[in-house]
Amino acid sequence: MHLKYESFVREPLITGDKTYAQVTEDICRPIEQKPSKLWYVGFVLSLLFLGFGVFSVFWEVYWGLGTWGINRTVGWGWDITNFVWWVGIGHAGTLISAILLLFRQGWRTGVNRAAEAMTIFAVMCAGQFPIFHMGRVWNAFYVLPLPNTRGPLWPNFNSALLWDVFAISTYFTVSLLFWYSGLVPDFATIRDRAKTKLRKRLYGLASFGWTGTAKNWQRFEALCLVLAGLSTPLVLSVHTIVSFDFATSVIPGWHATIFPPYFVAGAVFSGFAMVQTLLILVRKIYKMEDYITLGHIEAMNKVIVLTGSIVGVAYLTELFMAWYSQVHFEQEAFKYRVFGPYWWAYWAMMTCNVVSPQFFWFKKLRRNIVFTFILSIVVNIGMWFERFVIIVTTLANDFLPSSWTYYSPTWPELGFYLGTFGLFFTCFFLFSKYFPVIAIAEIKFTLKVSGDNYKRDMQRLDAMSTEEFLEEANHAH
Amino acid sequence: MAQKKYWKGLEELENTPEHQQIVENEFQQELPVLGDVSDKLLGAETPRRDFLKFLGFSTLAATVAASCEMPVRKAIPYAIKPEDITPGVANFYASSFVDNGDYAAVVVKTREGRPIMVEGNELSSITNGVVSARVIASTLSLYDKARLRQPLVKGNPVDTFEAVDTPIKQALSGAGGAVYLLTGTILSPTTKVVIEQFKSRYPNARHIQYDPVSYNGLALANDATFGRNAIPSYHFEKAKTIFSLGADFLGTWLAPNEFNHGYNLNRKISAKNPAMSKHYQVEAMMSMTGSNADERATCKPSEYGKVAAALYQAVVSGAAPQTGSDKLNRLISSAAKELKNNGLVVCGSNDVNVQIIVNAINNAIGAYGNTISWGATSNYKQGNDKEFVAFVDAMNAGQVGAVFIHGVNPSYDYLDAEKFNSGLAKVGLSVSFAERLDETAEKCQYVVPDHHWLESWGDAEPKSGHYSFIQPTIAPLFKTRAFQDSLLTWAGITDTYHTIFNAYWAGKLGQSAFDKALQDGVIVTEAPVASGSFSGAAVDGAIAAVNAYKGNTDGQYEVLIYESVAIGYGGSHSNNPWLLEMPDPVTRATWDNYICMSYKTAKEKFESELTLHNQVDHKKRVLKVTVNNKEVELPVVVLPGMHNDVIAIAVGYGRSKNVGKAAADLGKNVYHFGRYTGTTFINYNVGTVELTSAFYPVAITQTHHSYEGREIIQEFTLEEFKKDPNFLLNKRKKELGHYTTLHWEGHHEEHGEDKASAGEQALKHDKDFEKNGTLYPVHEKHGIKWGMSIDLNACTGCGACVIACQAENNISVVGKDRVLVAQEMSWIRIDRYFSGNPDDPDTIQTIYQPMLCQHCDNAPCENVCPVSATNHSDEGLNQMAYNRCIGTKYCANNCPYKVRHFNWFDWNGADSFADNLYQDGRRDDINDDITRMVLNPDVTVRSRGVMEKCSFCVQRLQAGKLAAKMEGRPLKDADVQVACQKACAGDCITFGNVNDTESKIYKERYEENSERVFYVLEYLHVLPNISYLSKIRNTDAIVAKDKEQDVFQVKNL
Repeated sequence: MHLKYESFVREPLITGDKTYAQVTEDICRPIEQKPSKLWYVGFVLSLLFLGFGVFSVFWEVYWGLGTWGINRTVGWGWDITNFVWWVGIGHAGTLISAILLLFRQGWRTGVNRAAEAMTIFAVMCAGQFPIFHMGRVWNAFYVLPLPNTRGPLWPNFNSALLWDVFAISTYFTVSLLFWYSGLVPDFATIRDRAKTKLRKRLYGLASFGWTGTAKNWQRFEALCLVLAGLSTPLVLSVHTIVSFDFATSVIPGWHATIFPPYFVAGAVFSGFAMVQTLLILVRKIYKMEDYITLGHIEAMNKVIVLTGSIVGVAYLTELFMAWYSQVHFEQEAFKYRVFGPYWWAYWAMMTCNVVSPQFFWFKKLRRNIVFTFILSIVVNIGMWFERFVIIVTTLANDFLPSSWTYYSPTWPELGFYLGTFGLFFTCFFLFSKYFPVIAIAEIKFTLKVSGDNYKRDMQRLDAMSTEEFLEEANHAH
Repeated sequence: MAQKKYWKGLEELENTPEHQQIVENEFQQELPVLGDVSDKLLGAETPRRDFLKFLGFSTLAATVAASCEMPVRKAIPYAIKPEDITPGVANFYASSFVDNGDYAAVVVKTREGRPIMVEGNELSSITNGVVSARVIASTLSLYDKARLRQPLVKGNPVDTFEAVDTPIKQALSGAGGAVYLLTGTILSPTTKVVIEQFKSRYPNARHIQYDPVSYNGLALANDATFGRNAIPSYHFEKAKTIFSLGADFLGTWLAPNEFNHGYNLNRKISAKNPAMSKHYQVEAMMSMTGSNADERATCKPSEYGKVAAALYQAVVSGAAPQTGSDKLNRLISSAAKELKNNGLVVCGSNDVNVQIIVNAINNAIGAYGNTISWGATSNYKQGNDKEFVAFVDAMNAGQVGAVFIHGVNPSYDYLDAEKFNSGLAKVGLSVSFAERLDETAEKCQYVVPDHHWLESWGDAEPKSGHYSFIQPTIAPLFKTRAFQDSLLTWAGITDTYHTIFNAYWAGKLGQSAFDKALQDGVIVTEAPVASGSFSGAAVDGAIAAVNAYKGNTDGQYEVLIYESVAIGYGGSHSNNPWLLEMPDPVTRATWDNYICMSYKTAKEKFESELTLHNQVDHKKRVLKVTVNNKEVELPVVVLPGMHNDVIAIAVGYGRSKNVGKAAADLGKNVYHFGRYTGTTFINYNVGTVELTSAFYPVAITQTHHSYEGREIIQEFTLEEFKKDPNFLLNKRKKELGHYTTLHWEGHHEEHGEDKASAGEQALKHDKDFEKNGTLYPVHEKHGIKWGMSIDLNACTGCGACVIACQAENNISVVGKDRVLVAQEMSWIRIDRYFSGNPDDPDTIQTIYQPMLCQHCDNAPCENVCPVSATNHSDEGLNQMAYNRCIGTKYCANNCPYKVRHFNWFDWNGADSFADNLYQDGRRDDINDDITRMVLNPDVTVRSRGVMEKCSFCVQRLQAGKLAAKMEGRPLKDADVQVACQKACAGDCITFGNVNDTESKIYKERYEENSERVFYVLEYLHVLPNISYLSKIRNTDAIVAKDKEQDVFQVKNL
């Protein structure tokens, strides 16, 4: 299914003289070795954060939401800010695995596994916030359309918050399935290499008895394609629906039709930034520089500069629309957003999201790992501020000046946020220890086309005449 | 004794091995059900019996473990049902609120024998149904945990009254020196009878009255000019021009419950009758009354006399006033002209000279016999300052043998409390009747607590010839005794006060008239009509005296002490969490007292100002105020409209620990900043202010002062309104015209003159906008559709509605810490906006806007709730199903009016978690078993984590509908009155069924006052069911409309 020839001009996606065996060896090594000290340090640290998060949430559930800084005017603060932020981060994984799969972007194979894992963990983190921001979380099941004896009483299908419930849960389910189905042949590889009984057994279970027959592969490919097809609309729908939480309201600054595309672009933007942050670390720690190459990083930086600019245009469009609409309250909302008490958040957002990615127009900076790493963090700070600006500053200065307040978070809110980092990294550390961080099977697909050593062979093909090449290509089968 | 043994058969007797085997095998025949399994089951390692044992044990264990301690709920049934109490049905009793001369005729609502709500008695010709927030909140004081529960002897509780009666009687008979009966103003004629009886038993007894906030100067001035040591009746209802010189007559001065009604009658305006009174206010601080004035200027309190003199001269000779500021001069000259048209001048000063001049002005403008009458005197304040000072001197000189203190607390509220205390220590017998161990009672040998007014019999004569009765609405909660009964006992009289009371009134009115009067609560008898004739002899002297008054010099400030609208002079209100959490009408601050200071002074001298950041920052700089070497450190709150040389501090704070949890050490006492002139007590002094490095948080509920020119408020000058009454209506039609007519249906209105009346136009506009302003189909609204109208012209910001709502709907008190983070719960709040230049206090205009759930027909909160916990009733109510609410707060975010309140904590012990009740120290008594008796049983106490908001008092609506249904007739306006509407002193809230063309609300919106109607944020098409009537100011210009003048708008961003 792959064209066997790829122009020499294209950068190799796998560097070093890799054979199939070497690829398997490289990627399985971290799983079969004892983890490094650094891994333990990181893992314990993550657990500590997670523990603090659990305690913060316990504190909030036990005493009440008053332990948070939210108030009568600003009903959503860090909770929903973090929710939207985490959901946004998740988007890169799905985009890489689904849309890039459909577009046959070979370079995705190096990063898709980790990105999908990130998606799943990010959605898990995101999901905590809408659950625990409820005043009576023990009644959270009221949002589910379960047959019941209370009437029966159904949820309110007009509410964007309810759409969220469906959107997020669907998204999580499909992402998990997609991710897991990709893992099956790799688990089988690990199973086959396993030297201990337990490992053989567990990976055997996880690989669903994969034998690597042609039928296996054929079904696997078909399933991947179906799931990719299913995931593709989800990339667009999830954040669109999250944006409906705001867009369907009446509050100036929220009530905007631009929100769906603007949110999706922002989500992809922050998602790719998060993938960068993680992969730069992973390739360093697990010595995967050969698989996650500068080319990968550059490709993702290009996505970042594109989506960052889309987001920038959206910000300016919002300001333009506020002025152009001539709606007094709309104009005031943006006046207060830009110059009001939260001016620092707005300008932090503008600097991080609009100005900073523009550096990626320079190839030198796109291919600079340290710069990319710093910028990827800056972008996510910016994206966090974007959500904060949209949610908090809009509420803090809305229609009636009498009810304006200033919101600042308290320690349980901070703890909850840190706790989700704990959850995310706990999961990610476990993932990187027990799961192949690069899709072994998939990267092998690209090896013979985009692998460095195979590309060198292309020089011979390049020298051929077209007739000769066609001849050889036809006879290869 | 050997037990007899019975055996079942020979086999058992023999007990052969075969038999033993049979016995061991319980099921000799194979169990058909178990079949093969039985062997396995019975032969298993843990056979069936063990299994049953385990099952039994674990069930028991689980039961024990799961049966957490259940709260014991006490419910006592009416085994013998009292004749007049039906559980679930409220009883109403007419009564009277009397608190040191603060008076209101009231109706008390009781449920199952508990008074839970106080509302105004509309039969009263004095208060006309007006009650202040303090009156309503006094139900909570009844259930105050800090009230004394039995008499005290030298600080130790005793169980019987004999234990106090005997030693007191003994001490009285042996008392050397005078016996003093020190009381607050006594309005009760029968109490005066009792006091006379006591005095006749002890001839050396003297009765003196003392008011913590004195009005003695007023009476003395009347003595000087009319020869009458009394206060006349003020008729605000007749006054077309009102000039108030520092008198907060709507909030605290003399009898606000009386004045509010009359004042507001003349503030009502409509296009058909475009006339209203003109209210001038000259004052040192920004009082609630001043904030409602049409024209306002400031002067220092020491200049009140000069301003009065200037006004007098302007009235008499037309002389141009020569006071400090231009605005003041202009205001005085214009007032001088207008006052002749039914004018009334009142002055808040207690200085005799100032009041003499004020009397002269009132005489010159012909107020006497018109807006002021001597026909009936006002008896609210009878304190005599000179007598009291002489009494304190006498105590210190050791000339007082015994003192009985009722209703007053000089150890706290006398300006020289130390002197009073040292004198009190020298008195042989000191007895207090305080209802709580206040600062004076602490120092008395005996405390014989009096009943709360809701537990007492009594009467009042607030104005001569106007009588009002107090009926008990609950049996005394504690071992307390009526003050009068104590006096009678000690005088050796066997009659009880109740018999004297009955005999007095039955004798005076006749039994049946008395019964009727008790039921009505009030009665007016013919009072001896006495008129005074004015004598101007003292006026010139007074003018010379006031012109010699010296105010502050550079570096000094005039320190004014004032009563806050919420807690007044102090007393039991100081420990009332409802009142403490009620935002001050003007500053919007709760829970503290503070230094009010002008913007300019604060900015230039004390490093604090009203900047964007400072507004939202609750941390206020602490300043040290020194007056006569007495220092007080308090935080500064910038209050626009304060005179630049004046600072003002509220009294009633800084109470001792025994006064109650809420009051203890809250704020600082500043009564000692007053001074004594030799004749009267004066409420200002000169002092210095120093900067300290400390900061202190003040919980202010509103942090932005300008409405930013937004179309949420509509205000016009009287001239504008007269010229073009339809201006507002046309503006609404212009703004929304595109949405009221569908373009394919034609625009028949746009061309040519509109012949329809304003009401018809308004009705058509509302209907068309509802129908055509949306893509969705419109629900027909049949039957009842509840609506409310709020007249911004009549709202004075007093806060009575806030407290009434709190009492009616069991709204939680959240405590200062929570107000600081804007988590307060009040369902109705009064938004207060300033406009003008904060640097110039004379330019400030203030507007109040009560804001509560608008019950939108197209409510944005309803469609965002994921679980439909908030939904719409077919009567137009936006209702909350608390049980369904999961607390996402999405509805609150999407509410354009921000009137939804979330239960951030478990405020009232209604939560399902154990031991997680929110506590902050001050509000904790609110959850005491006794205090909880104040809860309205008709209204759910909300648990943690649910949203709540105004329900339009749905419990009252249901009751009203039921009443109409029982009588088989359609609902009428009179059937339902919501709590805020009933409490509104200005009668600015109209409520009823909009679908009923006979209802007041319909008439107001579509017939009487359509020109002034507007909806807040109408353009959103949320279709609120609350409409507002625009504010009309009887002045030259609306400051907020002029961005140049309204610095607030520019400055705040």
